[in-house]
Amino acid sequence: MLTEERTITERNERAIRNRRAISVLQWVLAIAVTVVAFFPIYWMLITSVKSQEEVLLLQPTFWPKEFHFENYANVMHKVKFAKYYVNTVIMTAGILVCQIITGVFAAYGFSKGQFKGKNALFMVVLGALMIPLQVTFIPIYVMFAHWHLTDTYLGLILPEAVSPYYIFMLRQTFMSIDDSYIDAARIDGVGKVGIITRILVPMCRSTLFTVTLVTFTSGWNSYFWPKIIAKEESHRVLTVGLAKLRDTFAGQGTMNNHEIMAGAVMAILPVVILFFVFQKYMLSGYSKAAMK
Amino acid sequence: MTKKGIKPRTLDHLQDFGCTIPALILILMFTYFPILKLIQISFTNWNLLNDHYDYVGLKNWKWLFTGSGRKYLVNSLKVTFLYSAGELTITLFGGLVLALIFNTMHKGFSALRAIVFMPKYVAMSSAAVIFLWILNTDNGVLNYFITRLGGRRVDWLGQSSTAMISILMLTGWRAIGYGMIVYLAAIRSIPKDYYEAADLDGASYWTKLRSITLPMLGPTTLFLFVTTFISSMKVFQSVDVMTGGGPNRSTEVFVYQIYSYAMEDFRMDRASVMALAFFILLLVITASTMKLSNGRVNYDT
Repeated sequence: MLTEERTITERNERAIRNRRAISVLQWVLAIAVTVVAFFPIYWMLITSVKSQEEVLLLQPTFWPKEFHFENYANVMHKVKFAKYYVNTVIMTAGILVCQIITGVFAAYGFSKGQFKGKNALFMVVLGALMIPLQVTFIPIYVMFAHWHLTDTYLGLILPEAVSPYYIFMLRQTFMSIDDSYIDAARIDGVGKVGIITRILVPMCRSTLFTVTLVTFTSGWNSYFWPKIIAKEESHRVLTVGLAKLRDTFAGQGTMNNHEIMAGAVMAILPVVILFFVFQKYMLSGYSKAAMK
Repeated sequence: MTKKGIKPRTLDHLQDFGCTIPALILILMFTYFPILKLIQISFTNWNLLNDHYDYVGLKNWKWLFTGSGRKYLVNSLKVTFLYSAGELTITLFGGLVLALIFNTMHKGFSALRAIVFMPKYVAMSSAAVIFLWILNTDNGVLNYFITRLGGRRVDWLGQSSTAMISILMLTGWRAIGYGMIVYLAAIRSIPKDYYEAADLDGASYWTKLRSITLPMLGPTTLFLFVTTFISSMKVFQSVDVMTGGGPNRSTEVFVYQIYSYAMEDFRMDRASVMALAFFILLLVITASTMKLSNGRVNYDT
């Protein structure tokens, strides 16, 4: 009896000790991983305020000797960085508006709507998930060149104006809403548009918000299509403009890395701020997709 | 019932159908129609520099599979699969290890987790210029660390042997946090009773990991494998910004090759066969991974 009791307490003690050792180890590893993961961001930030001489030192400094915030202004002067910003905002806003409108209505039609061939047509939407722009860009480019849509905002937005993913996610959420809400509204004389905008959308706003955040970041960060369709600086977006900064500073090689980093900071700022403000939604957007 | 015209019920159905029309038209125009157009172009000799083109039958297909295009097709297949293998390893294995490290309810950890996950939201082109600077041969901070540890400066992007590694460093930085978050969500959803029962048996951390955690993560691993595999096949940006496919075509992935045939050589005919080959490849991969997962995975991404 007595020995058994002792072994149990011994075992518990050992378990507690083990757990403590593991939690210390977890802390050490977690902090090490975080430092490595954060380093590129840190390096970008401090390089962006260094002077040119300091950037060229063979022994890099890990804290800038002086802060040169004028690097940011220099980037704005040397290239039309403000223009890239405006272009990116217009493109992203256009994509968002189009995807929300086409997505919400289509999701309604494919969830609560009733018409012949509904399921077959929904398969058409799902099938589009398997055909990426990387396959279809050649004919679209040719078409747009023919319609004089190269170097226009419409050309930037149109191929992204609908997202099968957006439709799919919203349809799932709309289906989870009980039909009785819709029937009640109909009896009160609410029309189709009213049912969508006054009942379904408000009831699903958290999913709508999460999915819209994903759309926003993928629009803001998109590169492949803008690079193809907007060759002129007048419609260049931030991602393409930033990658081209190196060519713009051609011949100066590594000399301008402090200014390139300043450009990078300005380009990623909106999305990073959004990430920290809406962290909860952004994290759940991904884990929600993976669960079930 | 109204006598003339359409019945209200039919009208109702028509309205429901109407809601889907804008989306359907856009999808047909920018997804399905281009596939048909690609097939048409693949039978021509269309060079964007000429307005005129002729139908040349299977010439382009022969060029790709038996002619001089074959060599580059094989190369880009190899390079793309190598990249995929790298991204899969980092996302699945690296993501799992990080998830185990970060699997604590402690408040401080959630801030650390957010920092590890954040790079996913840094646009690829920004991330690529940051890594170009870090990997710079003469002034890059990575080479500085290497020389401090007694190593020699590495020309990361200038030689075939390290160019792909450099691109994978960039990919890994952005992808590993995603793997971590997905695995963490799955680990959290494992019922606590399993661990409590194991604790009563005096099971060690490793025993619990091996016989509870890992087996329960099977479906998640499959989900990550399928989605990461397919998305990694489409890699373009990192290559375009960091190496431009070089040196010696050692990073010339599939999409980059399609892009350069079309937008640099203006050979729409060759780019179209290549794009169709890519489309077929994606279909084969999707079909085979779906078969592998046997419907157990949810394709919500």
